[in-house]
Amino acid sequence: MIDIQNVSLWLGKNIHVLNDISASFERGQTNVICGPSGSGKSSLLRCINRLEKFQKGNIIIDGHSVLDAATDIYKIRENIGMVFQHFNLYPHLNALNNITLAPRKVKGKPRIKAENQAMQLLERVGIKDKAYSYPAELSGGQQQRVAIARSLAMEPKIMLFDEPTSALDPEMIGEVLDVMTDLALDGMTMVVVTHEMGFARKVAQKIIFMDNGQIIEKKKTDEFFTQPEHTRTKDFLNRILSYV
Amino acid sequence: MDWEVISRNLEFLLGGLVVTFQLAAIALAGGLFLGIILGLARLSSNRFFYYPATAYIHFFRSQPLILIIFWFYFFVPILFGKPMSAFIAAVIAFIAFEAAYFAEIIRGGIQSIPNGQVQAAYSTGMRYHQVMIHVVLPQALKNMVPALITQSIVLLQDTSLAYVIGLHEFLRRTSLVDNREFRSVELYLFAAGVYLVICFVLSILARRLEHKKYKRV
Repeated sequence: MIDIQNVSLWLGKNIHVLNDISASFERGQTNVICGPSGSGKSSLLRCINRLEKFQKGNIIIDGHSVLDAATDIYKIRENIGMVFQHFNLYPHLNALNNITLAPRKVKGKPRIKAENQAMQLLERVGIKDKAYSYPAELSGGQQQRVAIARSLAMEPKIMLFDEPTSALDPEMIGEVLDVMTDLALDGMTMVVVTHEMGFARKVAQKIIFMDNGQIIEKKKTDEFFTQPEHTRTKDFLNRILSYV
Repeated sequence: MDWEVISRNLEFLLGGLVVTFQLAAIALAGGLFLGIILGLARLSSNRFFYYPATAYIHFFRSQPLILIIFWFYFFVPILFGKPMSAFIAAVIAFIAFEAAYFAEIIRGGIQSIPNGQVQAAYSTGMRYHQVMIHVVLPQALKNMVPALITQSIVLLQDTSLAYVIGLHEFLRRTSLVDNREFRSVELYLFAAGVYLVICFVLSILARRLEHKKYKRV
């Protein structure tokens, strides 16, 4: 469904952010990308919906190259939801309007229909009572759940998560991971950048470990934990799992 | 002191105030509209937008306003071979001039919006104009309210410069009355009082709007 072929990304002339990345993500599967800060995980995610324009290689989504001039990148983005580390809710709109904005403006959905759908989504993420609250009035966990609902409102085929729990208080991580787990079990195709190894182990089919702009390890979930090949991966796992 | 002179001519003077407000309001609306377009062009990575907008802004910010007013009153009619009324010439001059200042305020306001907002909007499939109209500009304009009101107050005072092309705005009418009545002290004190009250009210409004902004964010 998502086919990443030899992607390289430079920022400016000298900073090589992604170095010859290849991977493919299957429909209905949850894929976790982990690795140290600055390893290029988030950049890779942004290349998938071309928020970041890479210089080499290609990414094919359902048969359409995101680089091809004939591809309508806006149409592709409609089908790819994205959730950010810092939520990025629109502060001037309440939760309901945050969710309905894109369906109304991009898809031309009538307001009533969009609002009905938004209320259902808010119910699904467990904060129906916060529909008329502004982002500043919500906790981090609540904001992130609104952000997930906002992405889902476009009825995407793929969801990208960029460290969705990294900016949250420990107590709120669970409520966001619960929503994501439900989504995964419902058969959503997901690519999740995260350090939540418990979530990865429970939900993901495939795990990718990145370091320094390269993919070091690409394995099925159980193999990733039980038989990592590279010492770099082992080190990382040892460090990150020692307190779990 | 003969304050009678003001009540005697009050209707005439207030008529000038109406002209002042009309000129300021049209210049504000037009200048803001053109300023948004120029501000966006100045942030564009497309050189066909960036360079003309940048040149425009630098040019108009380097010129004295009074010269711009002369320009539109004397040269533009020659260009089109048609005389122009003082009011129309003033309106065009003010819009052209103020747009350059508004553009810089707007550019700063847009740059103050975190990139994550833009990314989030693009990721839902929105196009450039939708991202700007629904996500960036509402937030940016809100942040810019204090700067915009300050500029509007300056604009309101600057409208008095239109007297050089004979526009009968408030200050021009005050001086006309003075020519007839020889009561400079009373008349110009009155004019100062009027400008003071207007600008004071506007700055209170500015503070109100600012507080409103912080309640929510």
